[in-house]
Amino acid sequence: MVVTRREFAAVFAAGVAAPALMRSARAEGATLKIGMCVPMTGPAAEPGRYAMNGAKLALEAVNKAGGVLGKPVELVAEDDQTTNPGVVLAFSKLAAQSDIVAFLGSIRSTQVHAMAPDVLKLGKPVMIGGTDPALTHQGNPWLFRFRPNDSYSGRVIAEYGVKTLGKKKWAIVHSTDAFGTAGGKALAEALGKLEAPPVLDQGYSNQSPDFTPVVLAVKQSGADVLGTYFTFENDLAIFARQLRQLGVTIPWVGSPSTVAVSSLKLAGPALYGTYAVSDFAEDSSESAKQFATAYRNAYKLSPDIQSSWTFDAVSVLCAAIARAGTTEPGKIREAILATRKFGGAEGEYNFDQNGDGLHGYNIVRNEKGSIVFDKHIEFSD
Amino acid sequence: MSAPGDQLSLARTGARSGASPFLHLGFWVASLVAVVAVATLPFDSYAINVLMQASTFAVAVFGLCVVLGLCGQINLAQAAFFGFGAYAVALGTTGYHLDFWLCLGIGALFALAAGALLGMSTLRLGGHYLAMVTISFQQIVTLVMINAIGLTRGPDGIGNIGRPAGLQSSQSYLAFCVAALAVVGYLVWHLPDTRLGRAMRAVRDNELAAGVAGINVYRTKVIAFAMSALLGSLGGSLFAGGFTYVSPDQFSFAESIVFLTMALLGGAASPIGAVIGTSLLILIPEWLRFLKSLPGLYLAIYGLFVILIVRFMPDGIWGFVQMLAGGARRKAPAPLAVPPLRLEPAQAGGNYVLQVKGLRKYFGGLKAVDDVDINVRRGGVHALIGPNGSGKTTMLNVLSGLYKATGGQVLLDGVDITALSAHARTSAGLGRTFQNIRLFRSMTALENVVIGAARPGNVTIEGGASELMARALAALDFVGLGGRAHESVTRFSYGHQRLIEIARALAGNPTLLLLDEPAAGLNSSEKRDLHDLLKRIAAQGLTILIIDHDMTLVREAAQHITALNFGRRIADGDSVSVLQQPDVVAAYLGSA
Amino acid sequence: MDLALQLLFTGIGIGAVYAMVALGFVLIFRATNVVNFAQGEFSMVAAYLMVVFAVDLGWPYWLSFLIALAGMALFGVVFNLGVYYPLRHRSFLPVIIATIGASILLSNSVLAIYGPQPQVLEGWFETPGIQLGPVYLDSQYLLIIAVAVVLVIFQYWFFEHTLLGKKLQATSQDKEMASLLGISVSTMIMITFVYSAVLGGIAGILVAPVLFVSIQMGSTIALKAFAATIIGGFGDVAGAIIGGLALGIIETFGAAYISVPYKDGFAFLVLVVFLVFWPQGIFGERVAEKA
Repeated sequence: MVVTRREFAAVFAAGVAAPALMRSARAEGATLKIGMCVPMTGPAAEPGRYAMNGAKLALEAVNKAGGVLGKPVELVAEDDQTTNPGVVLAFSKLAAQSDIVAFLGSIRSTQVHAMAPDVLKLGKPVMIGGTDPALTHQGNPWLFRFRPNDSYSGRVIAEYGVKTLGKKKWAIVHSTDAFGTAGGKALAEALGKLEAPPVLDQGYSNQSPDFTPVVLAVKQSGADVLGTYFTFENDLAIFARQLRQLGVTIPWVGSPSTVAVSSLKLAGPALYGTYAVSDFAEDSSESAKQFATAYRNAYKLSPDIQSSWTFDAVSVLCAAIARAGTTEPGKIREAILATRKFGGAEGEYNFDQNGDGLHGYNIVRNEKGSIVFDKHIEFSD
Repeated sequence: MSAPGDQLSLARTGARSGASPFLHLGFWVASLVAVVAVATLPFDSYAINVLMQASTFAVAVFGLCVVLGLCGQINLAQAAFFGFGAYAVALGTTGYHLDFWLCLGIGALFALAAGALLGMSTLRLGGHYLAMVTISFQQIVTLVMINAIGLTRGPDGIGNIGRPAGLQSSQSYLAFCVAALAVVGYLVWHLPDTRLGRAMRAVRDNELAAGVAGINVYRTKVIAFAMSALLGSLGGSLFAGGFTYVSPDQFSFAESIVFLTMALLGGAASPIGAVIGTSLLILIPEWLRFLKSLPGLYLAIYGLFVILIVRFMPDGIWGFVQMLAGGARRKAPAPLAVPPLRLEPAQAGGNYVLQVKGLRKYFGGLKAVDDVDINVRRGGVHALIGPNGSGKTTMLNVLSGLYKATGGQVLLDGVDITALSAHARTSAGLGRTFQNIRLFRSMTALENVVIGAARPGNVTIEGGASELMARALAALDFVGLGGRAHESVTRFSYGHQRLIEIARALAGNPTLLLLDEPAAGLNSSEKRDLHDLLKRIAAQGLTILIIDHDMTLVREAAQHITALNFGRRIADGDSVSVLQQPDVVAAYLGSA
Repeated sequence: MDLALQLLFTGIGIGAVYAMVALGFVLIFRATNVVNFAQGEFSMVAAYLMVVFAVDLGWPYWLSFLIALAGMALFGVVFNLGVYYPLRHRSFLPVIIATIGASILLSNSVLAIYGPQPQVLEGWFETPGIQLGPVYLDSQYLLIIAVAVVLVIFQYWFFEHTLLGKKLQATSQDKEMASLLGISVSTMIMITFVYSAVLGGIAGILVAPVLFVSIQMGSTIALKAFAATIIGGFGDVAGAIIGGLALGIIETFGAAYISVPYKDGFAFLVLVVFLVFWPQGIFGERVAEKA
């Protein structure tokens, strides 16, 4: 079939105009609205779905218990396309709706940085999952963090490896992206303070097909323990396999991706016996167990950090609004900061003045494919 | 490798040079209204952000309009240049507390230099190789942005970027961006009508012919790249000030592809197309949010659209619109009456306009031209004949500088041109036409001939656009096509296209005119017209060297003939005797 | 020394991967004068087909392999008809853009169907590898190198010693002339796309156990393979192989001795050097334009 240019133009024009015509007016209801910037397209689309799952699960629980301030709570989500301009656009679109009282932001720190100026301007609370420590230390009073930041992960890895495993010659392997670099730096600093400065600090670029040079560097350094910050599960799995193939068996304490479901599937036996810090660990507390059960029932999937933080964010936020008794931003803020001993899926929330709710990590261990909770390390400073 | 211009933008035809002052005025009024509207109307932050992204991206896409749309060179590193501008402003205002404008300028200079450098790689490369160089450059820049933490603050990016004093509020800054867009858009809109713009278009349409018509192809390409980089950097600087946060992942190869798609979608050759393409590709994701439910679906459709657009709308949306509106175009202005063409060939050297001594051109073991001497006397027509494969066209290509001679010497009017490039020889006074016609297919007859007229070294012109136009028109009149000056060359018959080629060469006032098989494909009445034309040219004192197979034409038109066979000269002398020589006859007809 | 040997094996292994994908590029380029930016996606699609048959449906490995390759042949036909053929008379730029569009379409279609999580594909062998002295030889990489060698020999024999191969060569060198000699150019081009798709498929299925089956697996390799093609010389098949191996070795050694994060940068730097000083590559021929 030959499509002439004119026919094509007509179809194209119709296709472009249709969505605008199809958009129906949003019904105004008596609900309490929470906005959410979440990736629906782009590389983080699937984790984005899990984030939505966690938020919705918490929302249902809140509404079943009667809602907040007498109204049911509604989630309004916008796609941030996993890009910086995308999250700015998504946030500003939501910000334009004046009946949204608070927001859920991104788990990616660069995206939070990108939207921070607009958040400051708007002056309403935003719950985030990004772990760059700088986010809560740059004077923005509207960011509230629902995962322990990277300064803690580094310290916990160091603490566990040096004090519990008794190893002092560290090799650090980290991705050169924002997450990996910040993590690697935090770990190196923490090790320095524990008088076990690293013997190797090796960065690598994401999406590498081969890690032989990195593995050989680890071997050559004579390290007796390995600390890692891997962003992508493919890279982690390839590295893990090659590590074992080339005969490296030293203990390994890694960032949360080390025990992600995907990593376990890809790497299989290569990751048996590894340790990881994980803000979410099913067996770490009663609240975590309850969350995991509820999540599995609702979605037939295993939960992970993508969904646990959004679950906690919605729960804490709704509780804070209820306690504040109003939707006025300043009062909500005070109520969140006053949250103490709140048991969430990620752990016990005790907010500090900067907006960080969690100050420690769980250590888990890969016991032949199942993730087992080892201990929780918390810092009170 | 075929010329990219052929198929990329044929929509640019018609009376370009006749754009009325009304149109210019309309543009500025519209721009002023837009700027004021943006600055004063109440926009919510969402709309401001969308417009900010669209306007800054559009400036970068204008850069692609220049290098790709106008000059036909592929540039897959536009995001890197965008990044240069963004980082210059980001680092400058946050780390060194420099003024925004100063940072913008530094970024622009840096990008200009980098773009020129990239352009210099075109000396040896084109097409896919050039694409690869630009991709490599882009990848290296991204890697440096991420890893050179000391310099660029690495993957964390840079926040709290400053804006120019007085433009602190988002709306005023946006108004400024829109104003910048209007100014740059105006310049890019009028670039095709300038000498540089015409040179770029010629390079895009037919590089070989452009060189031979006197355009310094290499320098034109370098300038195109530099301009593209400059605009990319400008867009990036504006972007950084607008969003006040930048990180390396925004300046990757994927973004370069986005810029490229924006340019192609709207129509690479026109700034209006660029704005359309940019706006659509920023707005469509916003409109199609309902498709976001299934991850990948939206982008899959996006990829499909790219294929469909390339297939059905090669000139982009704007090109398509122009094509639809083609019938409604206003009438071309009637050509003015101009004084008849004057040919004033130089007379510096002695009796001989062209002296070829011991010329050799070997292709590996094949001796295409083997130790040939030719002396072309001033005035009149000298013919070069020989059966197919005798080396005639190779000879002509060596003479015009398209091939480098393996040995020997070529003197034009006493000046040794053996080592000169094609366009340098044209400057020295050589003009030629091609066996397979090489006109600039996106241009009108007049525009084609104007390029010839703009030959550096043309003493009949002092300079100035109107003089060029007048000379070009005179040349077209001389070959009998003055009445159709404003038509696209694709509308002319084969024979007439050949005449336009001759007019293009004549317009430059050459010292020697090389004609490569001008009679090929002409019917007998067209051949008679050609003969007349040759006589009129010779009557003004211009020397002609002609290659042709048509013996009747050669016998009637040429006074002097040189015959080649198997790359060697087998006869040289006045027409009548040469054509009677037995070995010449044998070469053509075979021995009995 | 041990270090260097291990790096050498890895370099050759990854180089063989680049070389196989590069072969696909070269073939299409020689036949159509166009660079196929979707070549990496050929490998990715084949790997996913393999997952569908061998993992999801549980069919025997060798059977799934053959069916997947048959699927790739069909895919080559569709790709030719949908992307290249309608644009065959246009210049290279629209075709490059169309192949880029195809690459986006393919990777996102697979994303929409399969989701973004990487999949595991078992290797051909039970044993993961052999330890030869100080060097560990991953068995899948050994297979890749072996197959690459076989393919090169096959391709040499096919192009130089069979009539069909000669016809393909003729078509790639001068389409018009070939057509005047009675060779159906469109059939030759179709065969080229089919062969190239199958080749890309073999590369993808062989590499999948090592790199895992993911949406991005194709593009990671394709850009490097393209670079390898240029280093080796775009016109020549042997050149693609040499270029691929050279690139794999340079990258691996560069990462180990100079800098790991900038590893990708070396590949591109070497490429730029080649493009500037030896654009015809190690083996290629410079093609002059007819005046």
